[in-house]
Amino acid sequence: MGEVERLLPLRTISTKEITDQSIELDMKGYNRADLLSLRGVAYEIAAITDSTVTFNETPHDGWIWNTSRVDKLEAPSTNLVKTYNLAKISNLKVGPSPKDWIDKLESSGMRSINNLTDITNLIMLEYGQPLHAFDAKTVASEQIIVRTAKAGEKLVTLDSRERELEENDLVITDSDKILGIAGVMGGKNSEITDQTQTILLEAAIFDPILIRQTASRLSLNSEASKRFVHGLSEERLLQALDSAIKMYQQIGGELRAIQVTDKTDSKIAIPLTVSKTNQLIGIELKKDQIDNFLKKLHIIASDPGKFTAPYWRLDLKIEEDLIEEVARMYGYENIPATPLPNLDPQTADQSLFELINKLKEQLVEIGLTEVETYSFFSTDVLKSIDLNGDKRQNLVKVANPISAETEYLRDSIWPNLAEVVSKNYRQGFSDIAIFEIGRVFYLPAESSQPPEESYRLSLSLMNNTDNPIEELINILEKLDLGITIDGPSQKDMPEFHPVRHRRLLFNDQPIGGIAEVHPRVINGLGIDKRVAVTEFSLKAIL
Amino acid sequence: MLDKITQLVTAYQAKITQSNMLAELDTIYLELFGKSGQITVLPKDFKSLPATELKTIGPAFNQAKQELEQAISQKRHDIKEQAYQKLSEEKWEVKVDSPIKKRQGYLHPITEFENQTAQIFSNLGFKQFEAPLIDTDFNNFEALNIPPDHPARDLWDTLYIDGQSYGFKAGHLLLRTHTSNAQVHVMKAFKPPIKMMNIDRCFRYENLDARHEHTFDQFELIYIDKGLSMANLQYLSEHFLKQIYGPDMKVRLKPKYYPFTEPSAGIDGLCIFCKGQGCKVCGGVGWLELAGAGMIHPQVLKNGGVDPDVYSGIAWGVGPGRMAMLKYDVSDVRLFNSGDLKFLQGLKGDTSES
Repeated sequence: MGEVERLLPLRTISTKEITDQSIELDMKGYNRADLLSLRGVAYEIAAITDSTVTFNETPHDGWIWNTSRVDKLEAPSTNLVKTYNLAKISNLKVGPSPKDWIDKLESSGMRSINNLTDITNLIMLEYGQPLHAFDAKTVASEQIIVRTAKAGEKLVTLDSRERELEENDLVITDSDKILGIAGVMGGKNSEITDQTQTILLEAAIFDPILIRQTASRLSLNSEASKRFVHGLSEERLLQALDSAIKMYQQIGGELRAIQVTDKTDSKIAIPLTVSKTNQLIGIELKKDQIDNFLKKLHIIASDPGKFTAPYWRLDLKIEEDLIEEVARMYGYENIPATPLPNLDPQTADQSLFELINKLKEQLVEIGLTEVETYSFFSTDVLKSIDLNGDKRQNLVKVANPISAETEYLRDSIWPNLAEVVSKNYRQGFSDIAIFEIGRVFYLPAESSQPPEESYRLSLSLMNNTDNPIEELINILEKLDLGITIDGPSQKDMPEFHPVRHRRLLFNDQPIGGIAEVHPRVINGLGIDKRVAVTEFSLKAIL
Repeated sequence: MLDKITQLVTAYQAKITQSNMLAELDTIYLELFGKSGQITVLPKDFKSLPATELKTIGPAFNQAKQELEQAISQKRHDIKEQAYQKLSEEKWEVKVDSPIKKRQGYLHPITEFENQTAQIFSNLGFKQFEAPLIDTDFNNFEALNIPPDHPARDLWDTLYIDGQSYGFKAGHLLLRTHTSNAQVHVMKAFKPPIKMMNIDRCFRYENLDARHEHTFDQFELIYIDKGLSMANLQYLSEHFLKQIYGPDMKVRLKPKYYPFTEPSAGIDGLCIFCKGQGCKVCGGVGWLELAGAGMIHPQVLKNGGVDPDVYSGIAWGVGPGRMAMLKYDVSDVRLFNSGDLKFLQGLKGDTSES
C-alpha cells in the first residue's frame, strides 16, 4: 500500500483521502475513464508497480450466452443508443445483501439497497459499466422502448423527486409510461421492491453528450451518469453483463431470455517514433525501453512503428498521448532540467505594460494604496450611482450571474473606489488615498462586435477637507503625464458635484475626467464625506 | 393612554418640522428612540392596561412609532437635499502646486507577485501580451480542444455574456475562465518562435467563500519553438520557483490532465512550510502543487496556424492569488478583491519590489 500510495500521484493521478483501507483518486475533470473501475485501477497499479493483476478476464466463449442455450429477448432497436443489451432473470427473491457486499459498497462511498440492486452497483464498481434492473412486472408486456422525451413529460425518479423532461432527454419506456432517464436515474415506478421476482437487466452504452446534458440540467450527476459521460467499452460491457448474470444465478436467479450484441471495440494503430518520443520528453530512450514501458500498460506494438492501446484505454488516440504514457512510466520526476534553446527576446510592443508598471510605482511612491475591486458593479454601487434609472441598460450584462452582485460589468472603476472609501471609512480610516488600474467594459458601438474593453487608471481621495479635488489634482500633476484639465463636461452628470467636475485632455483629445463625487452618491454608500475621483483611459496617453 | 400617544406624536411632529439641521434631528431621534427614549419606554406602561384598551393601544402605538420614524428620515432627506442645492454655489477652487499630504503607499500583494514573475520571465526573453477578458466560446474552449459538452468543461464553471441585443447567440460570448484563451490570439498575432506571457483576470461561476473566488488572476506562458521538450518545462519551473523561494527549492513534475496540453504536467515544489518533512499544509507529503503546465496539444497548435510537425510548445501557468496566499499566510482569498485597507496595508513581509 505504501508504495502504491507513493507512486499513484507520481505516475498516474493525484490522490485525495487515504485510509488504511482505501485511496481516493482525484478524478475531477480527468479523462481516464478506465480509472472509474476497480479492474482499470488494478491494471494501472500493476503497470506502475511492475506487477500483474490477479484476476483473469473471462474469455468470450465462457460468457453465459455462449455456453448455454437462452431464448432471445426482444430488445429495442434504435439508433439513439450505441449498444443496448437486455437480460430477463427470474426466480429471484429480494433480501438484504451479505456483509461483504455491503462493506464493498460502503467503502466505495455507496450504500446498500437490497441484494438485487446491489449486484448492479457492485458490477459497476468492478467493471465500470453501469447496469440497471427494472422490475419486469412493472414493464407493460415486458417490452422496453428507448426514445427521446417529449417536452413537459415528467418522471418520479428513484430519489422520489419529480423530474420534468425536455425534448433531448433520452428515456427508457414501455408502451405507456416512462421507466427511467437513460444513463442518469431509474424511475420509482419500475424499481425493485420486496415483491420483485423477475428483473429486466439493462447493459447499455449511451451517447456521453446526451447523458451529460441531461445530468447537468437536472443536477443529477450519479455514479452511473459519470461513467457514461467518460465513455465505455463494448468488451467491458459484455464482461460486466456476464458477471452480473452469474451473480444473480448464485442467489437462485434463472436467466430466461437475453438480447446481446457481440460487438468489438474499434482499435486504432497509433504511430510512435523513438525520435519524437525523445524529442518531446527531452531524454534519450532506446526503442526496447519504450516498447517495454508501453507493454506494461498493455499498449502493444502492432504494425511497424505503430501501437495499439488496450480496449479500456479510450483516452489514447494520438502519438502525443503515447508519449505521455512513456513519460509517466519513465517518471516525470526523473526528467532533467534542460536550459532553453535560445534566450533571444520576443519582439512585441510593451508600452502599455511599461506605463502600467511606471504608474503603479509612482502612485505608491506618492503615498497611495493600490486596490483591486471586482469587474462588476455591486447592487449597492448600482443603487447609488444610477440616479436617472437608466444605468443598467448601458452596461454589459452577464447572462447567468451567480447573484445580483455579478450581473453587470463595470463601465468605470471610480464607483467601486467610492465604495471602498466608504467601507474603509466605516472601519475607522479617516484619510483614504487609493488607486486601481484595470479594465472596464462597454457595449459595442456596432452590432455583431463583442463588447469593448478599456484599460483605466482611477484614483480616489478622501482627505477630510471640503474640497478633496484640490489635492487630487496635485497628485495627478505630480504624475507628469502631459494631461491637461479642460472645462466642465456639458453632459448631465448627476453622479458628480454640479460645479466641481472637469474633463481631462491629452493632445487635445478627451481621455477622462476628474470630479468630486456628488454627496448624494457618497451618502447612498453610507457615509457623509467629500470624495474626489479621477479616471482616464491608459491607451489614450501612450 | 391613547391621548398620551397622540400628544407625543403632535408635539414631536412639530419639533421635526421646525428643525433644520441634521444634529437637531439626531437629538430628537434619541429623545424618542434612545435607550430611555419616550417611545422606547412607553410599552412598559401597557402591562397595567385592561385587555380591551390594549387592543386599540397596540396598533395605535405601532402607527405612532412608524409615523415619527418616517417623519425624521423624510426630514433628514429634505435637509440633505437642501444642502445639495447649495452645492451649485460652491466653486472650483484649485491651487496647483499645493503640497500633497505625506502618506505611506502600498502595492497590492498580487501586483507585487506578478511584477516579480513577469521580471523573471522577461529576463528569459518573454514579453507580455494583452488578451481580451470577454472572449468567444471558441477561443476559450473549442480551440483548446474542449468541444461543447466535453466532460472536461466541468473544470470551468463559466459566466456567459448576454450579447443577444448586439447579435451574439446565447453561450457564444463569455468571461474568460483562464488565461489560456490567449493561446490562439498569440499564435495568430506572432510567428514562431513565440515567447509570450499573459497576466490578468479570469472569471468562474463560483460561490464566494474563504477558498473560492469568482474573480482571480492567472499568469501563463505561451512558448513555441523548434525542439521544445518537457525537460525545458522542468527547467522553466525550477528556474521560476528557485527565484521565488530560493536556491534550495526542489521542483518535480507529475502527471496531470489538461485537454489543451499533451503531455500535461502538474508542478510540485518542495513544501515551503516544512521543507519536505511533511506538514498539515502539504497533507504530509512534503510537496505542494504550485503550477500547471504541459506541451501544447498538436491540435491547439494547428488551430493557431502553427505546424506541430515543425514546432512544439510549452504552456505554463501559475495562480498569483494562491502564491500570495502562501507567501503572506492569507487564509481568506476574498481579501484580495475586498479593498480592505487594514489587510492591504497590514501585510507582513517585504512590500517593496524585488
